Amino acid sequence: MSILDDLESTVSLSEGTVARAIYSDQEVFDAEIERIYGRSWLFLCHDSQLKEPGDFFEAVMGKDNVLVVRQKDGSVAAFLNSCTHRGNAVCRAEEGNARSFLCTYHGWSFGIDGRLKGVPGYKDLYHSDFEKSCYDLVRIAQLDNYRGFWFGTHDAAAPALHDFLGEAGRLGIDQIASRGDMEVIPGIQKFVIKCNWKFAQDNGLDWYHPQVTHASAMREGILPGPKRPSIEHMDQDELTMQDGQALEMARDAGMSGTKFPNVAVLGEYGHSIGGPTTEAHVGEYDPSWRNSDRATAELGEDRTDIAGHPAIFPNIFIAATGQLSLRIPRSPDETEFWWFSFVDKNLDERRRRSTVRAANRVFGPAGILEQDDGENWAQSTMQTYGTASRNVPVLINMGLGRGEVRNEGGLHRIDTVTNEHPQLWMYHCWQKWMMCDSWDELRSSTEPPETI
Amino acid sequence: MSAVEQNSQLANVIRQHEIEQFYFHESGLLDDRRFDEWIDLFTDDAEYFMPIRRTMSGNDIGREFTKPGEIAFFDDDKKLLASRIKKLGTGRSWSEDPPSRTRHLITNVTVLSDDETEMEVRSNFHVYRTRLHRELDNWVGHRVDRLRRQAGSLMIAHRVIYIDQTILDSANLSVFF
Repeated sequence: MSILDDLESTVSLSEGTVARAIYSDQEVFDAEIERIYGRSWLFLCHDSQLKEPGDFFEAVMGKDNVLVVRQKDGSVAAFLNSCTHRGNAVCRAEEGNARSFLCTYHGWSFGIDGRLKGVPGYKDLYHSDFEKSCYDLVRIAQLDNYRGFWFGTHDAAAPALHDFLGEAGRLGIDQIASRGDMEVIPGIQKFVIKCNWKFAQDNGLDWYHPQVTHASAMREGILPGPKRPSIEHMDQDELTMQDGQALEMARDAGMSGTKFPNVAVLGEYGHSIGGPTTEAHVGEYDPSWRNSDRATAELGEDRTDIAGHPAIFPNIFIAATGQLSLRIPRSPDETEFWWFSFVDKNLDERRRRSTVRAANRVFGPAGILEQDDGENWAQSTMQTYGTASRNVPVLINMGLGRGEVRNEGGLHRIDTVTNEHPQLWMYHCWQKWMMCDSWDELRSSTEPPETI
Repeated sequence: MSAVEQNSQLANVIRQHEIEQFYFHESGLLDDRRFDEWIDLFTDDAEYFMPIRRTMSGNDIGREFTKPGEIAFFDDDKKLLASRIKKLGTGRSWSEDPPSRTRHLITNVTVLSDDETEMEVRSNFHVYRTRLHRELDNWVGHRVDRLRRQAGSLMIAHRVIYIDQTILDSANLSVFF
């Protein structure tokens, strides 16, 4: 029997379990591309990447390559990077500036607005038998931006971007946008990890792993950034390494435990935020922006303390460094990672340089933190293929049933300590995306509960 | 060929030999995981930079690589390089435990300029890595180094690593180039 016929059993909100098969089953993957990536709003690029008319960036929406292009009138257009004649890509660069898009197969050429302009032999061979306007490049169904972050969806029936993001998703983007007058630093780090995209995505919300996964980076003097006071965090049970030595989790730069106030935010459609409050956060190098009048006004006074990692459904991760990572599924066990790094364009040269350096040093394939993440996700993915091992459920049950959700002006928050509430929420909503055919049904079944 | 020309050519051959021997020594240190000795090859003010390469059309090809001050895979000074090595030595650096097996192949060593104190040298590299059971990475590209003559030996004062891949087909870059 196909797992798609029994999606109900794949995620249990009451047990805190997820079926391993959803990480490696080809049918599940193909259905995700249709039901999630074929309907959801997806991040394309930032407004600052398209400065001049003709500036373009090639984004990915599911399996579709999409050109996002600045127009002569200052607006932005997005269309499929596929010639309407035989389907060949009309642009082969990942970004740049174009005056037109020429299909190098038969020579059909399109304006930067996607309109078909030139067809070799239009009169002599085609006898002018069709209107060129019938074969413009195909625009994506909806395109919109929130604070300069451009999103697109393939679904004309999808709710407006503002409503799709909701309070949780917008607060996620605000974690970057409210730092200043933000622009993308040139250069998108792109690399491939042989893992399922969901393992990476739930990890963004996971504050149980840093002290172990990143134990080496957290040793004194390795991770750049300010030193925080030492905090006693949690029992270490009987942690021993292969050689029998105690693991000795870093005590002077911990990130999880009972002394770390956390806020978990659960949002409609599966958006969530997880992690420490500003009080306990050690990952944000320069949290001073949170005290600005601008941040207070834009985030809301009672929300400036929410400093965890936002995960905007389905595949955006926003890091404490003010970077945005896209996790682009390529196959069940292959995911592309694209890191967009941001800086306030008004910073002086010295502070700009330090922002760029922090972005270059922490995440990405050589990042002091991220280089230790990939293998966890790859090995977790690999263990979902085994005939026996795939029947062992993934556990996401820390604090299960203890998360009291408070609705504050539409933002559903749980004030607690280290927990797995937002990850479980993500998987619950994943299941609903896979099962619900209508947006109304999806919206109502992803309304955050009173307890989780 | 005059005697002067001959002497000059001989000097070039000796210089070429010296640089190649330096690189072979360096590669051996990396492949043998003697990182504490490797970092001693860098001057205190050294910079170590691996820009991102982008797939660009001919008209934008000047923007193929990112520049200093932009996003890069490595953007290190000696202090950060030392931190990376310290991290490897903690016994808890999981992406290198079990450690990667690397082979650094250096070819096409070309002196671009030489002002007696510093030389600019271009070389091609092929870094072959296997990890765990079947993980395999091949990184190919070229490096441009500024090698400084200091206390009778060569030191790396500046290294830029130009990698050929645009979407890096690797889970991490937990090794050195």
